[in-house]
Amino acid sequence: MTNLEKYNKAFETGLELTEEMINSELEYQKIESWDSVGHMSLIAELEEAFGIMMDTDDIIDFSSYTKGMEILKKYGVEL
Amino acid sequence: MEINSRAVRAWSMMGQTGQFGVIMNELAKCNENFCVVTADLCQFSGLERFCQEHPERFYNVGIAEQNMIGVSAGIASEGINVFAASYGSFVATRALDQVRISMSYMKLPIKLIGLTAGFSAGILGPTHMALEDVAIMRTLPDITIISPADCTEAYKCLEAVMEYDRPVYIRLTGSARAPIVYSEDYNYEIGKAIYLKEGKDVCILASGSMVFTSLQAAGELEASGISASVVDIHTIKPIDKSIAAIMAKHRLTVTVEEHSVVGGIGDAVAELAMKEGLPIRIMKIGAEGSYPHGAGYTTLLYRSGLTKESITQRIKAAIEK
Repeated sequence: MTNLEKYNKAFETGLELTEEMINSELEYQKIESWDSVGHMSLIAELEEAFGIMMDTDDIIDFSSYTKGMEILKKYGVEL
Repeated sequence: MEINSRAVRAWSMMGQTGQFGVIMNELAKCNENFCVVTADLCQFSGLERFCQEHPERFYNVGIAEQNMIGVSAGIASEGINVFAASYGSFVATRALDQVRISMSYMKLPIKLIGLTAGFSAGILGPTHMALEDVAIMRTLPDITIISPADCTEAYKCLEAVMEYDRPVYIRLTGSARAPIVYSEDYNYEIGKAIYLKEGKDVCILASGSMVFTSLQAAGELEASGISASVVDIHTIKPIDKSIAAIMAKHRLTVTVEEHSVVGGIGDAVAELAMKEGLPIRIMKIGAEGSYPHGAGYTTLLYRSGLTKESITQRIKAAIEK
């Protein structure tokens, strides 16, 4: 599985979305399942998928699908 | 609900307080006979989804903890399971008269949730530190007191109290990114302590957030040639009497709690030892002295000596005496 596939899978599982619903327009609080609870599930999925532990500031800044890609670079995850 | 690594990690991210509402929402899927009352801590305690998906079972009374207990008492008296949640410091002090009458005297089976117990809301100052909630609740007859060691145990405990027809106070400690003690499903029973690590010299009895820290301290002690047992005292009242036999086998018993050393598990254990006539040494580790100024969670734990380093040092000093 590529990093991008892992990234998308984390969104699917963490936010309970189907594959078709994953796109670069996804933003925090813009869809029902990406609320504060969904956000924590998403971060947990990403941390497990990439074997990382994100800083609190990065968890807060992780406000969209595209912003998340940028943040993961800090942890050596290229997408 | 299946307890898997994904769920455990997500809960740990939220911490016991943030996880509370999420668990309520999970349990609501297979249990229709319960509702939740809060004193204005909906999103804070993860109740957002429960509130949206089950509006008919959710009551926010505003910043009015005494009313929260009154409303919950009314619901409980109709035979409906009710969870009432607010800051541990407020439910144990501001709402004490209501808790005393409705839960202790009338024995209404309210499940009272003390959020951010201990120091975890300490950044807001001493008003939000729940350091005497166990001491207060222990004096009230017929109230069971539980303090889960981690988020997995918080889930197990909330699931267990769903079928528990007595008043219970559950103190939720720790912050977000809570350390994990139980990474998979296990057998949990209210009132039954869990022997996590077997040792020979020191018996560490801990509750809530201090279970993980005590396990860490036990690891440090091993490196110094001191063998330590660690027991998770998730149910503080009634305390599991079988721990007396474990205590008797060690040179030193140490209690560790994110609570005042007055009236908490330290005293509960000392009372048990006295009743059982155990000739043992007990050292109590917890919050002592004046209320500290408001600060971040880890800072407050550090200042109170509730770190693995400090606990290790104190135990080493005590055992070498």
